[in-house]
Amino acid sequence: MSTLAPIIVLIEDEAQISRFVRAALEDEGCQVYEAATAARGLIEGSTRKPDLILLDLGLPDGDGIALVKDFRTWSSFPILILSARSSEQDKIAALDAGADDYLTKPFGVGELLARVRALLRRRTQIADMEPLATIGDLQLDFSRRSVTRAGVALHLTPIEYRLLCVLYASVGRVLTHHQLLREVWGPGHSESNHYLRIFVGHLRRKIEIDPAQPKHILTETGVGYRFQI
Amino acid sequence: MAWVTISTMPFHLSKTAVNYISSIVICILTTLVSTSLLLFVDLANIVMLFLLAVFLISVYLGRGAGILAAFLSVALFDFFCVPPHFSFAVSDVQYLLTFAVMLAVALITGQLAANLRDQAELAKQREQRTQALYEMARALSGTLKLSQVSEITAEFLRKIVGMESVLLLPSDEKELVPVTVHKVWYEPHMAWTAYEDKQQHVLSEPDGLYYLPLKGSTRMRGVLVLSASQNSPVFPSENNELLLTVASLVAIAVERLHYVDVAKQGEMQIATERLRSSILSGLSHDLRTPLTVLVGMADSLAVSKPPLSSKQQEVAQTLRDQSNHLSGMVANLLDMARLHAGEVNIHKEWQPLEEVIGASIQLLGQSLEHHVVKVTLPDDLPMLEFDAVLMERVFCNLLENAAKYSADQGAIEISACVQGGFVKVSVSDHGCGIPPDKLEAIFGMFVRGHAVEEANKISGTGIGLAVCKAIIEAHQGSIKAENLASGGASISFTLPLGEPPLFNEALLESELI
Repeated sequence: MSTLAPIIVLIEDEAQISRFVRAALEDEGCQVYEAATAARGLIEGSTRKPDLILLDLGLPDGDGIALVKDFRTWSSFPILILSARSSEQDKIAALDAGADDYLTKPFGVGELLARVRALLRRRTQIADMEPLATIGDLQLDFSRRSVTRAGVALHLTPIEYRLLCVLYASVGRVLTHHQLLREVWGPGHSESNHYLRIFVGHLRRKIEIDPAQPKHILTETGVGYRFQI
Repeated sequence: MAWVTISTMPFHLSKTAVNYISSIVICILTTLVSTSLLLFVDLANIVMLFLLAVFLISVYLGRGAGILAAFLSVALFDFFCVPPHFSFAVSDVQYLLTFAVMLAVALITGQLAANLRDQAELAKQREQRTQALYEMARALSGTLKLSQVSEITAEFLRKIVGMESVLLLPSDEKELVPVTVHKVWYEPHMAWTAYEDKQQHVLSEPDGLYYLPLKGSTRMRGVLVLSASQNSPVFPSENNELLLTVASLVAIAVERLHYVDVAKQGEMQIATERLRSSILSGLSHDLRTPLTVLVGMADSLAVSKPPLSSKQQEVAQTLRDQSNHLSGMVANLLDMARLHAGEVNIHKEWQPLEEVIGASIQLLGQSLEHHVVKVTLPDDLPMLEFDAVLMERVFCNLLENAAKYSADQGAIEISACVQGGFVKVSVSDHGCGIPPDKLEAIFGMFVRGHAVEEANKISGTGIGLAVCKAIIEAHQGSIKAENLASGGASISFTLPLGEPPLFNEALLESELI
C-alpha cells in the first residue's frame, strides 16, 4: 500500500473547489480522478478501484445520497462527503446510507487532509486490529475486557464498554446517533437519542480528563459522535 | 276610518271607492233581477240571490264592501221585494225574522269570505317575500365583493319592505364604515351601540331608523341600517321576522367573504414564504461555494511547496483568516434571515448542556487557542430540551465575542446553575466590558458594544448577539448582558427546565467490570 499512491475519486461539480482539493491531495501524493456529475462519478468509482471517494452532496444530475447507496451495494471503500448544505438531516442521511465522514463547506486544506488521512489509515487499521490498544493515556485490553489509565482500572458498565468498543472500531469515522444505538443496543432498540447522550456523558466522565472539553469522544452536533485516538 | 285612509293614501282611495261603488251597483243589479223574478219565484229564493251577491262581493271586493252589501241587500229586499212594495213597512211580522236572519247570514258569510280572501292575500304576499328572500340568498351566495352584498340587500329591502338601507362594516380603526355610497342618514354612535351590545336590534323611533346587528358564527360582522321611507314612517312590526332573516343572510355573506379573504391571504403568505426560503437556500449555496474556494485556495497557498517567504506566508495567513471570518459572518447573517423568516425548524431534543459546550469549543478551535476556557457545571445539572445545532451557534457566538473583546491568555468562564424553573447559563470574560448604556441595545441587529473608533479595530457585524437572542427566545428563554464587578462582561441566558424524560438510573450502576 505504501508504495502505491492512494487513488481518490473526487465527485464535485464546482470546478474551482475541485481544483484546490485536487491540488491539495496531489501534494499529499494521491492520484486524483475527477467527476463533475453523479453519472460520471459512478463510472469513475467503479473503474478506478479507488481507495477513497470524495463526494459533493449537491450534484446537478442526481442525489448524492442515492449515489452513496449505490456504491455501498458492492463496495466498502471509504466515502467522505463534502456538504454545502447546512441541514444536519442531509448529513445524517448520507452517513446512515453508508458514508464514513463529512466535511461542511467551507473547509480548510488542513481539515480536509486530516480527514482523508484518517480514512486511508482506517483501511490498514481494520486489517490488523490488536487485542491491545492505546488511546492517549488509556489502555484497552479487549481480551480481558479491561480499560486502565496509567495502570489504574476504570470501572465501565457493560453498556459503556460496548459503546467504547463500537466507537474505537469506527475510529476516524462519524457514527450517527441511530448507528450507535443500533450497534450498542441491537437492531431492535427502542431507546431514544437522550439515552445514548447520557451514556456518552458517563463514559466521558470516566475516560476524558475534562469531560466538557473531550479529546477522544467528540460531538458532531446534531449528527452523532466521532472517536479520535 | 275609511276617510282617514282616503285622505292619507291617494292610491287606495280610488280602489276602495271603486269597491264600494261596485258593491252598490251589484246590489242594485240583484234587486233588478229579483223584482223581475218576483212573479215566478218565492221570496225565500229571492233571499238566496241576495245572499249570493253579498258572498261574492265579500270574496272579491273586500270586507267593507261586504258589510255595505249586507245592509244594502236587506234594505233593497225590504223595499222592492217584500209587500207592500216600494215601502220599508212590512205587512207580515214574520218578515222581520227573515230580515234579521238574512242580515246575520249575509254578515257572517261575508266576514268569513273576507277572512278567506285576506288570508289568501297574506299567503300570496308571504310567498312573494319568501320567493324574494330565496332569490336574495341565492344572489348573496354568488357575491365576490362586499359592495355586491350591499347592493343586493338594498335592492331587496327597497322592493319588499320599501326601505332604504346601508351596510356598515367595522374598519381597522375601530369604527363602522359604509360599504357603498348611500342615501341613509344614520347616527354612527347608535350603529356602534348595536354593534357592541350584540342586541337583536336597536330601534330609533324619531328618525324611523332601524339598526340591525349582523351576527356571524364567530363574531359580529357589522350593522345593517334601515330607514323607513316617507310613505310608512312607522316601522311595521310584522316585518321583524323577515328583517332578522335578512340580517342573518347578510351576516353569512359577509362572513363568507371574510374567510375567502383570509384563505387568499394565507395562500399568498405560503407562496411568499416558499419564495423566501428558496431565495435563502439559493443564496446560502451561492455564498458558500465561493467562500469554500476562497478558504481552500488561501489554505493551499499557506501550505504550498516550496514554502513561501515569511511575508508571503503572512499574506496567505491573513487571507485565510479573513475568509474564515467572512464565512462565519455569512453563516450568522443567513441564520438571522432564516430565524426572522420563521424558516428554522427547531429540532428540540433532551440532552446534557456539557455536550454542546464541548462541541462549540472544539468547533472554534483556533480562534480560542490564545484563551483559556473554563467550564464549571454542577454535577447534577439536569438534561435540557434544546436544538443542539442552534445552541452550538449561541455558544460559538458568545465564546467568539468573549475571545475578541478580551486580552490574549485571558480566561473565559462558562457556568450554569438552576434558578427557579430555569437553568441560567453564563459566559464571562475579563475583557473591556460593555458600555453601561448599551447593555440592552447590543442584542439588536447591527448594534455593537463599543464606540466606532474602537470597534473598527475589532471586526464584527453586530449580528452575533442578535442571533443568540433570537435562538434563546425561540427556546422560551431570555438573554441579558452585564458587566462584572471584577471587570469584563458576562452574557447570561436562561433555558426552561421542563420535565426531562425518565431514565433508568440503575442501568448506569449495573455490573461493573
